[in-house]
Amino acid sequence: MNNSSFFKAVPALLWQFLFFYIPLLFVVVLSFTDGTTSGFTLKNYALLFDSVYGSIVLRSLILAFLTATLCLLIGYPLAYFIALKKRSLKNVFLFFIILPFWTNLLVLTYAWFFILDRDGLLNSLLMNIGVINEPLALINNFFAIMIVMFYCYLPFMIMPLFSVLEKFDLNLIEASKDLGANQWQTLWNVIIPITMPGIKAGFLLVFVPAFGEFVIPLLVGGDKYMFVGTLISHYFLIGQNKFAGSAFTVLSSCVLFVVVFFVSIFVQKLFPSHREIRETEL
Amino acid sequence: MNFLKKMALPMFVFLVFAFLYLPIIVLIVFSCNKIAFPYRWAGFSLEWYRELLESTEIWHAVKNSLIVALSAVFLSLTMGLTFIFYTARTKYEKVIPFFYGNLVFPEIILAVSLLALFTFFAIPTGLLALIAAHTVLAFGFVVPILAARFQELDYSIIEASLDLGASLNQTFIRIVIPLLLPALVAAGLLVFVISFDDFLLAFFCAGTSAQTLPLYIFALIRTGISPVINALSTLLLVVSSVGVLIFCSLKSKIRIF
Amino acid sequence: MKSIRLENIKKSYNGDVILENLNLTIPAGQFFALLGPSGCGKTTVLRLIGGFEEVNEGDIFLGEENITHLPSNKRHINTVFQNYALFPHLNVFDNVAYSQKIKGLSREVIAQKVNKVLKTVHLEHHKNKFINQLSGGQKQRVALARAIINEPDVLLLDEPLTALDLKLREKVLIELIDLQSKLQTTFVYVTHDQFEALTVADQMAIMNQDGQIEQIGTPKEIYEFPVSIFVAKFVGTTNILKGIFHNGSTPQIELPGLGFFQLAVPENKELVEGKSIYISLRPEKIWISIPETPGFSNHLTGVVESIVYQGRSTQYNVRLKNDHLLSIFEQNEEHFPRQVIDYGSTVNVYWQKENAVLLEK
Repeated sequence: MNNSSFFKAVPALLWQFLFFYIPLLFVVVLSFTDGTTSGFTLKNYALLFDSVYGSIVLRSLILAFLTATLCLLIGYPLAYFIALKKRSLKNVFLFFIILPFWTNLLVLTYAWFFILDRDGLLNSLLMNIGVINEPLALINNFFAIMIVMFYCYLPFMIMPLFSVLEKFDLNLIEASKDLGANQWQTLWNVIIPITMPGIKAGFLLVFVPAFGEFVIPLLVGGDKYMFVGTLISHYFLIGQNKFAGSAFTVLSSCVLFVVVFFVSIFVQKLFPSHREIRETEL
Repeated sequence: MNFLKKMALPMFVFLVFAFLYLPIIVLIVFSCNKIAFPYRWAGFSLEWYRELLESTEIWHAVKNSLIVALSAVFLSLTMGLTFIFYTARTKYEKVIPFFYGNLVFPEIILAVSLLALFTFFAIPTGLLALIAAHTVLAFGFVVPILAARFQELDYSIIEASLDLGASLNQTFIRIVIPLLLPALVAAGLLVFVISFDDFLLAFFCAGTSAQTLPLYIFALIRTGISPVINALSTLLLVVSSVGVLIFCSLKSKIRIF
Repeated sequence: MKSIRLENIKKSYNGDVILENLNLTIPAGQFFALLGPSGCGKTTVLRLIGGFEEVNEGDIFLGEENITHLPSNKRHINTVFQNYALFPHLNVFDNVAYSQKIKGLSREVIAQKVNKVLKTVHLEHHKNKFINQLSGGQKQRVALARAIINEPDVLLLDEPLTALDLKLREKVLIELIDLQSKLQTTFVYVTHDQFEALTVADQMAIMNQDGQIEQIGTPKEIYEFPVSIFVAKFVGTTNILKGIFHNGSTPQIELPGLGFFQLAVPENKELVEGKSIYISLRPEKIWISIPETPGFSNHLTGVVESIVYQGRSTQYNVRLKNDHLLSIFEQNEEHFPRQVIDYGSTVNVYWQKENAVLLEK
């Protein structure tokens, strides 16, 4: 191919650098500076050694982990069910799975708000029937956050799962049964290992954004809890302290990557993909 | 017993779907409710829709969202496609993973970094800044999708075009774009939706001057529950359905996920 | 019509050397076949000529013009790809018209040229069809039409018949020969199938596994007078017998365990007494018979171990006294053959010394 026409590819690269890599770099640089002219400083990072920050990061990690796990546990059977259907039916199911994904996050969050609020639908209904006398505190707490997180992130888990399950060779299931395995053994020994790439992808696709989620806790969490996302936005928008904010951003990103890295390695050891097995045997 | 076993998975799926659509149905139903409070059915009414359509603020926000979304689609598709065509399968193809990072970071980190950059260099926030941000976000989807689809192309078709005398540019226009069209449309739809629905980047980069639809909805939600939001949500749902229909029909022709 | 000349070509891929010191001249206006086993580098040669790969060293000439660094779209050479590479979003007419549209010719001229070419390949009634509506043979003809409409100096064909079934293959081969003689364009035909090469070629070259050309010649020269064991084995089937050269009153070859046999030595060949040599003996040039037959320079006996009926001929595999298995083809000339050779029969095997080819490697 003609090498001199590479310059046509440059605009995209330039854009990516200007609006992705440079801003990130900028934040890293900011984290090491102060508003004053003193230059390189670790002051911002020193501030972070308060346990408050640690608990915020931990809380976000737990939230992300719970969300991803819940999405996986519920999403996997769902994706399995749909992927094995015939083509036309499959597309119908797919349509109904994707539709919530294409609906505005705020709108969906609002809908849950509508349902779970003190004066909301669920409480009104339950009180009218007489099941309860006082409205349940279903909103503005961790429970509400979990439900809405799960609801919004489920499609992100389903899509990669669906993609690997769709390509799954059904003959393998028959072979497994033929060799005497029951349903659960087949699931654990055959289906899950082979679809592991999809599981990993889905888990990451949920875990990483969920870690930094800020809107959902804000709307249905009632500002009761601080998460990484809310704290970052606090620093930059309300607190106007972009230096400490940058340090916190950098630090929590590092924590995120370290966690993801170790979890991937852990999962790899636990469930090596068949490609990896072949390589180690060679 | 066997019957229960067989029905277990379908029942489970049914429950999940019920859960998925509960809020949506609730939204739609109560968008036609005569009264706002309390939450019981008082009769069918379209007055919330009327109130919605009469509000000028909404349409202003919709217009802004459309401008941003369409610009992001256009920019990301043109730049992304040219990028892929001139780097894939050449010695520059190692540059392609540069764009995979966009999905690796939580969006909020991108949002604050852009904000920090913009304020430092005194670049005004607003629609243009938002367009720049959304285009970057879009790259994270467009580049992998197009790269994968381009990789699946039968490369000898491009060689055949060159063999028959066409230049690289002519090949790009006459052969590659038509063949990649389903992927382009699907990626474009994806970008449009992500941009149109995006709240986070808009929250940080649009500033006070430009209000997009998600920002408008957010402001509205903050003031409390109102059936007008339900009405708006229902309308958006209908529009989204059309988009998803198109997307699904294209998905059967290409592999996106 | 122009000739192609490759001089000192070196081509490597990721460190693997595929071609080295390759020199080849393809004469103008001929149907030239490049034959070799899969993976030998013959497709690489084609791609270098077509401009889809760049040489590491060496030069390529089209006629007298050095085209080594000319991009493929500027070379006056066209290719028929192995999988046809037809444009799926264009119909037959537009596929064929593509190169002319690029040139910027007027619609009327294009229509005229396309219709003429479609007629040549017998596709004029399919011109509005799309590629996925065509059969394999039809797709192949579209690929051909698309390539020749440009009236290139050289037409490259990369294993064009691989995707077709046997009956179609034979038909298309004949059509290709007719086409070439009509157009008088230089055709370069790459294949691993020796039957195809022998059928179409005016001249052919055999390439071995290491990317080196072992022999160039007409199909008859190559088949009847191979210069190496590789060529003898690759083109057609043969029996290779290893022995020792003896220069007595007449040149002879001693086959271990079997005795001495008459040998025909080519005029300029000088051989040392006791040298290790081979002869290539084609199965159809061996006479098999149960009773003894006079008049042959060489004679062996053996036992029939297997018989394969092949329609036109029957193949007998005969076990000789030194345990070597000899392949013999006998044409089935008679419906009711006068002698019946059966499993386990002891047979006499004869050949004329002129029909065995002396090989040194």
